[in-house]
Amino acid sequence: MAMKKKRYALVLDSRKCINCKACVVACKAENQVPVGNTRNWINEARQGEYPKLRIDFEPEQCHHCEHPSCARVCPTGATWMRKDGIVLVNYDDCIGCRYCMVACPYDARYFHEESGTVHKCTLCSHRVDKGDLPACVETCPSKVRVFGDLEDPTSRVHELLATRRYRVKEPQTGNGPQLYYLL
Amino acid sequence: MGTIRMDRRLFLKAAGATAGVAATTQVACLSYFKKGRSAAAENREVPTTCELCPNKCSAIAVVEGGLVKKLNPNPENPKSRDMLCARGNAAIKQVYDPDRIKKPMIRMGARGEGKWKEVSWDEAFDFAAKKLAEVKDKYGPQASLWSSTEGFQEVFFKNLGLAFGSPNLVRHPTLCLASVNLAYSATFGTVPSFDLLNSKFVIMSGANRFESIITPDTMDLIGGVMERKAKLVYLDPRFTVTAAKADEWYPIKPGTDLAFILAMIHVIIQENRHSKDFVAAFTTGFDELAEHVKQYTPEWAEKETEIPAKDIIRIAREFADAAPRSLYYAGRRSSWYQNDFQMRRAQAILNAIIGNWDQVGGMVPNAKLPKGEFLFMPWDEPKAPRVDEIEKHFPLAAKGDGVYLKLRENVLSGKPYPIKAWMVYKQDPMNAMPDQAKTLKMIEGMDFIGVIDVQMSDMAWYADVVFPESAYLERTDPVEVMAGIWPAVVYRQQVVKPIHDTKPNLEIVQGLAKRLGLSDYFDYTIEQWVEAEFKELPIPMAMEHMKKHGVWAASGKPVYGKTLNPDFRFVTKTGKIELFSQRLQEAGYDPLPVYAAPVQPPGDRFRLILGRVGYFTHANQSNNVWLNEFMKENDLWINPKPAERLGIRNGALVEVASSVGKVKLKARVTEEIRPDCVFMLHGFGKKSKLQSLVYNVGASDAVILETAWDKVSGNAAFHETFVKVANA
Repeated sequence: MAMKKKRYALVLDSRKCINCKACVVACKAENQVPVGNTRNWINEARQGEYPKLRIDFEPEQCHHCEHPSCARVCPTGATWMRKDGIVLVNYDDCIGCRYCMVACPYDARYFHEESGTVHKCTLCSHRVDKGDLPACVETCPSKVRVFGDLEDPTSRVHELLATRRYRVKEPQTGNGPQLYYLL
Repeated sequence: MGTIRMDRRLFLKAAGATAGVAATTQVACLSYFKKGRSAAAENREVPTTCELCPNKCSAIAVVEGGLVKKLNPNPENPKSRDMLCARGNAAIKQVYDPDRIKKPMIRMGARGEGKWKEVSWDEAFDFAAKKLAEVKDKYGPQASLWSSTEGFQEVFFKNLGLAFGSPNLVRHPTLCLASVNLAYSATFGTVPSFDLLNSKFVIMSGANRFESIITPDTMDLIGGVMERKAKLVYLDPRFTVTAAKADEWYPIKPGTDLAFILAMIHVIIQENRHSKDFVAAFTTGFDELAEHVKQYTPEWAEKETEIPAKDIIRIAREFADAAPRSLYYAGRRSSWYQNDFQMRRAQAILNAIIGNWDQVGGMVPNAKLPKGEFLFMPWDEPKAPRVDEIEKHFPLAAKGDGVYLKLRENVLSGKPYPIKAWMVYKQDPMNAMPDQAKTLKMIEGMDFIGVIDVQMSDMAWYADVVFPESAYLERTDPVEVMAGIWPAVVYRQQVVKPIHDTKPNLEIVQGLAKRLGLSDYFDYTIEQWVEAEFKELPIPMAMEHMKKHGVWAASGKPVYGKTLNPDFRFVTKTGKIELFSQRLQEAGYDPLPVYAAPVQPPGDRFRLILGRVGYFTHANQSNNVWLNEFMKENDLWINPKPAERLGIRNGALVEVASSVGKVKLKARVTEEIRPDCVFMLHGFGKKSKLQSLVYNVGASDAVILETAWDKVSGNAAFHETFVKVANA
């Protein structure tokens, strides 16, 4: 049987984000992210003057781009993309040169001091391969993130992108980011 | 009505309308353990119940190589559903915190000096028992005080206090939500849940539900506001995350919420928008209420609250029109002002007259589940009256919980009798109570202080002996029935063995009981206790189920309207919902909420207000390394207008002084607060060096908060402190 093509992506409804940081801590535990580093974070935009005020939150992490600039600049090919679109770092091949950190338009990578390699969000590929959700997706109280396969027309991500307006960040880079923010 | 689309797709199911009833959204729980997971292998997954805050969420602990690696949400819990917040996720670091108390400790230097000797459990028990016995011999058993905060093992601690012969058990409610509990009980005879999942119109006074996370209310409300077109009106002097997500935010003048509510009642009654059938069938005192609120016009309320009269009128109309799917939400940590009880009463009355009682999307009396009880040997009831004189000063308050601040006053004055020993379980009165200097004075007066805690809280830092309790992931605890719209049973079982020389609270209590000659009352194991509880749970194969799943939900289908038959007797004096309360009148209180304008701060002062963020609830969480990353120190929120007047710049160190103390912390000049208020977060400026991340970092609100309490419930009034702010 031919394997069906997969393309994992995250669709985010940022309006529902309450900045509770559950996703950040869940990721920290799941992926043993050192204190001081983070694989996902929440952007805050505060504006206005009392009493006309507004706060917007926007969770972010590696965008698992279609054409990842991090992979293009990697001299050893350590950064690579799985067939399902998840961009990973092969730590055995990473020499810690950090070109990828410079090349990432989203500043989604960090240097892991202990191992001397560069780490970032893996979309919890180890969980996904078992049929579980990425830790950040699962733990979220308000279910901001929807994870799924864009190639599957019955998936919720597919449906959301087909029926709702959305944007991606920094599209001008040509990276083809796969974090879709609903408007 | 069609089904409602929701994102919480794992476990929420929108149920279609049944004949004549509007569509209700319901919870259906998926089974986590159907996926062929095992709780037995070397790499185990053990279901348990979180203890980082009072929500009791169900979690699955993933254990690898003997270490807890991850906590996953357990979607079988209808309250916590498939979520675990930042605090819950960070519970791992409670276990592996280098600051943890690793052995029993006895104080060597002066109290608070931090000189400790690690001792064996026998030494610690002998020492504490000797001290407690001395106090008992000299002053009687009533001279001991037993303070605790809710927790599954709190029952053992309370029982030790009672068996010891002390009536003086004091618990957290009067530092938290006693006024809400009492106000709703006085009106409805019970404290209901709020059906935010189905509500169409929600008003919240300062209940910052998107930062003070309560399950399932936080999730239901965000879904309601963002997906199901529910409307949220939010009153708060501060622009919180809840304010940011609300449809309408009013920075109400602090302490005037009662005026807003009374004016809403005024409008609803005057315009005949109340539910006449419901009021006639189920309530008493409506005529008195209608007469009473005539004086409270929206125009009058505008002057008090600074909310425009036209908005009050509009909100009242929308609120009544959305009934019964509208509610004025009660909230927790409701200890704000000295009129708190009456303000909550007014909310209850407003809810009552629009007839949202026991309705889909309204207030729902909690469903309960039976649980077995372990029968232990009973002791003689303590003979002495309570030291806080609760019967005399707060005749309606919950006797078993005590009244914290009045108690402290009485202990300090030595009247009606001296208190010389203080046992504390799982609580940090140093930070939980206002006016830390007074608490320190109370500590000074003690012949003996013993603290049982997982970590070295500020209270533990001032103790004579500290008993290290095992973290929740290292313990098996009693079974808890969670009453609610969807009642459930949760169970906490040991995930990993204690990594330090710690004990669960029951064993600490037993160690003390043995030496105090009280062993007969505590002659059981946690397993026997739990087994007795399992026996009467309405669950087939209860023990097997609870060990495998950690939680049991009664049914995905909540029942509404059970109390809505004419024969139902509410647990009130008249058997009806009491709009006018004769019981209050007889006790010497206003039978209907009467507004008195709160004192406002003089020109050179600000009102200090408190609140929470999503990742810290209790004072102990700021020292959790995974949570501390989000906020390394607290700061003082101040509006740019007064900041400019005072020459205070963003990030500058300021001194904040009240009549009882002063602290220094950095200023956060922000538009997100009223110009007459300042705000600081709880849980910093610790005195304990074993809270190393927050020791002497930022400031503790407890130092500057003044002592004040609500007159009816005795609830601490935390928003009655005026402070001066100046560059330090």
